[in-house]
Amino acid sequence: MRTAFRSLLFAVCATWPAFAGPCTGAEGQLAQVSKALTVNALDMAENALRTLGVSYPDCPEVVLHQARLAQGKGNISEAAELYYRYTDADPDDSRGLAYFGGFFLEQRDYRRADALSAAAVYKNPDDPTALALRGQILVMKGQSSEGQNLLEKAIKLDPDDPEAQFQLGTIYDKAKAAVQAVEHFRKAATLNPHDARAWDYLALNLELAGDLDGTEQAYQKGLQVNQAGRYHDAFLDYNYGRFLAKRNDLTGSKRHLDRAVESAPQIRAVWYERAKLDMRMQNYQQARADAEKAAACTQQGGVIDLQIYSLLSQVYARLGDTALAKKYTDLTRDTPPPVRGEQR
Amino acid sequence: MTPRKLFTVALVVALAAPPKILRGADAGRIQFENRQKNSGVSFVLANGTLPDKPMIDGIPGGVALLDYDNDGYLDIFFTNGATLPGLAKEGDKFSNRLYHNNHDGTFTDVTDRAGLRGEGYSVGAAAADYDNDGRTDLYVTGFDRNFLYHNNGDGTFTDVTAKAGVTGASSAGKKLWGISAAWLDYDNDGKLDLFVVNYLDWSLATSRVCGSPGKRLSCSPTLYKGEPNILYHNNGNGTFTDVSEGMGISRNIGKGMGVAIADYNDDGWMDIFVANDNDRNFLFKNRGGKAFDEVGVESFVAYTDSGLPVSSMGVDFRDWNNDGKPSLIVTALGGETYPLFRNEGNGFFSYESYKAGIGFRSLKMSGWGTGIQDFDNDGYKDLFTANSHVSENADLDGQQHYRQANAVFRNMHDGTFQDVSRDAGPGLQIRAAHRGCAFGDLNNDGKIDVVVSAIGSSAELLYNTSTGGNHWILIKTVGVKSNRDGIGTRIKVTTASGLVQYNHVTTAGSYASSNDPRVHFGLGADTVIKEIELKWPSGTVQVQRNVKADQVLPVTEE
Repeated sequence: MRTAFRSLLFAVCATWPAFAGPCTGAEGQLAQVSKALTVNALDMAENALRTLGVSYPDCPEVVLHQARLAQGKGNISEAAELYYRYTDADPDDSRGLAYFGGFFLEQRDYRRADALSAAAVYKNPDDPTALALRGQILVMKGQSSEGQNLLEKAIKLDPDDPEAQFQLGTIYDKAKAAVQAVEHFRKAATLNPHDARAWDYLALNLELAGDLDGTEQAYQKGLQVNQAGRYHDAFLDYNYGRFLAKRNDLTGSKRHLDRAVESAPQIRAVWYERAKLDMRMQNYQQARADAEKAAACTQQGGVIDLQIYSLLSQVYARLGDTALAKKYTDLTRDTPPPVRGEQR
Repeated sequence: MTPRKLFTVALVVALAAPPKILRGADAGRIQFENRQKNSGVSFVLANGTLPDKPMIDGIPGGVALLDYDNDGYLDIFFTNGATLPGLAKEGDKFSNRLYHNNHDGTFTDVTDRAGLRGEGYSVGAAAADYDNDGRTDLYVTGFDRNFLYHNNGDGTFTDVTAKAGVTGASSAGKKLWGISAAWLDYDNDGKLDLFVVNYLDWSLATSRVCGSPGKRLSCSPTLYKGEPNILYHNNGNGTFTDVSEGMGISRNIGKGMGVAIADYNDDGWMDIFVANDNDRNFLFKNRGGKAFDEVGVESFVAYTDSGLPVSSMGVDFRDWNNDGKPSLIVTALGGETYPLFRNEGNGFFSYESYKAGIGFRSLKMSGWGTGIQDFDNDGYKDLFTANSHVSENADLDGQQHYRQANAVFRNMHDGTFQDVSRDAGPGLQIRAAHRGCAFGDLNNDGKIDVVVSAIGSSAELLYNTSTGGNHWILIKTVGVKSNRDGIGTRIKVTTASGLVQYNHVTTAGSYASSNDPRVHFGLGADTVIKEIELKWPSGTVQVQRNVKADQVLPVTEE
């Protein structure tokens, strides 16, 4: 008995370094870094990673989070190199594959994003990070139902992933399920208050749900945090401008729609909306200029030709230009309305 | 008197003087009470629905208020559906119904005696005296059959459809799907003509199935072609001629649901607005009785300010801001808003749903029948909508609801409206699949009541019990040179205190329904009307002065 105990003790002591991995002892800090990166708290993450890099120089997970930090700071080449380094070192880690896939998604390399997200879920079908990314990509590919299932699963496993909450919210938003959309966008915005997109979508859906005060508050919060970067929302001013117009705050609406045309001048919808406001303010010459600008934009942003024709027919009618008014009236009349679904 | 005393007196006088408030503005609340239970009106709208929910099942529900026996009290007529797919009015369940007003809050079913059970799948009703014999006749639209019932004056009606030539078939002989109808004298010849609104080129044989099994939804009208409307000219001898082509009506193909008439440009000729479902609305501008020009796009009522159509259902066309120009309200489905188009008086209308305060509220509503009526008699017309979604399984969506409560928006006198539905009494809290509704004074107490039809539920007799004690007048026009009902007569009322209001004689409006032909004005605190000016379709202008309030005033054309 004593001999067996001594043998066991010897075996444990001999193999102890193998149990103490390069990240052992850093788990708590790594989790905090990961969370900070998830909510885009880059400064906090950077400070922690600096310390971790010194204390745990061989910990591969530090490399993974350094890659995420570089991505968050917009250092694309550095991020890519770090991601390659990590996934080469640990090709079976579903999280690494998922984060790398997310990187390619941001770079609009959809083919690589698709492949990596599929691989990530294959490696670990219960990894919420992998599930969330894969779900998002499936939705983009038109497989909404499957995508939604994966996102729902991801959130069940990790309800504190703001991006997963946001992506699920967009599915409900697209389905015009405002109540469910509000639930997820609210969570996303609470988890990552710097995400202007989440506030914007939350506002849009609160409006549909009839909570106008909540809508106003959400827009205000979104405007406060709408900085350039990953969570910047180019349409926040546009959406808020439209909301203010409905609330009959035409001055406020103009202020935000002016900003919208500055931040997204290539999008038809922003010029169209400002043209409508000009009409309401009886500034018909400006309405004409904005409407013509809208007509010239190739990126529609959800505004179709029929809407432009209808607006231009009104603009020219107001200006007394009967020839152009007739031209656009005829176009309006001859353009069939859109088919918005087979059922209602 | 010293300056100080003078100041004190002035201050006392100023404080003692009544504050300048809007006439009747805070005088009372709009209230309704549903008195169906003990009324004898047992009508339940039956749509004959099938498991696959063919789209016809969402469409019926017309109501007409008419005094068919000339006893001074409005009677009620309901249209009803039929079996599907047979389109038969089997048994009592699917019968159209006529209820005689007993003057005491009760009604008696006189359908069989009157001969108005109907046939086929009925939809709309339009009541007026088309032959100027002093008795109100009835036109009933339907999917497969339209009927013109001549009032014989003895409590019975005769089906004269074929003889009159108003079957609702196209020039090629195809029966069109009739929804609403409007009586109007479009050429001011003293005889009422008939405008029939038609919907889709749809049949049970080609009906699509939408939604998943067990969760069927109403298919969108975008899956089908629309149909032209029909204008019938009254020949004066009991017959009509289809003049749709020559008058510029039939070339405009729409998906018509509601219709309302008004002289929107004050040129003496009645114009026609057609609410088209998921297509641009039509405004037929009357060109001197010789033709109609469709100017919906030109006048900015074809679409909302988004440049897109809504699922337009019901409509009313009256002056709600007392500027003398009839404006429009249109009902639509949830997520679309109810378009409120204000008549600018220059040929243009402006979309003002949000500006007027009904945009956000109506976004969550789906509506059918609607009316612009002064419910609290304060001199400003309010809005009423009969609400429900089109799909019986709408609740599966989570955002939409099939059964909805009706809504009333109070006119705040400044171009805006306030949703006062929640405070309007239990009668306005009933959630049902409401469809058409008709407006009129059922008990001649000077307050406009509403009768609402609802699929699968008892009809609602919403008696107006608004408080405040404001005064009123109901004007019953009797044409001599003009059509006997006086339809098309434009009326301007100036009260003793100087409030000026406008209205016109019409039974058309709402959805598939027909209203009280008497023209109602709320007078606020005024007990005397300084002047009533009537512009008859014949061109005659007639003025009455110093008219007492609180009466039903018959006015015969001079």
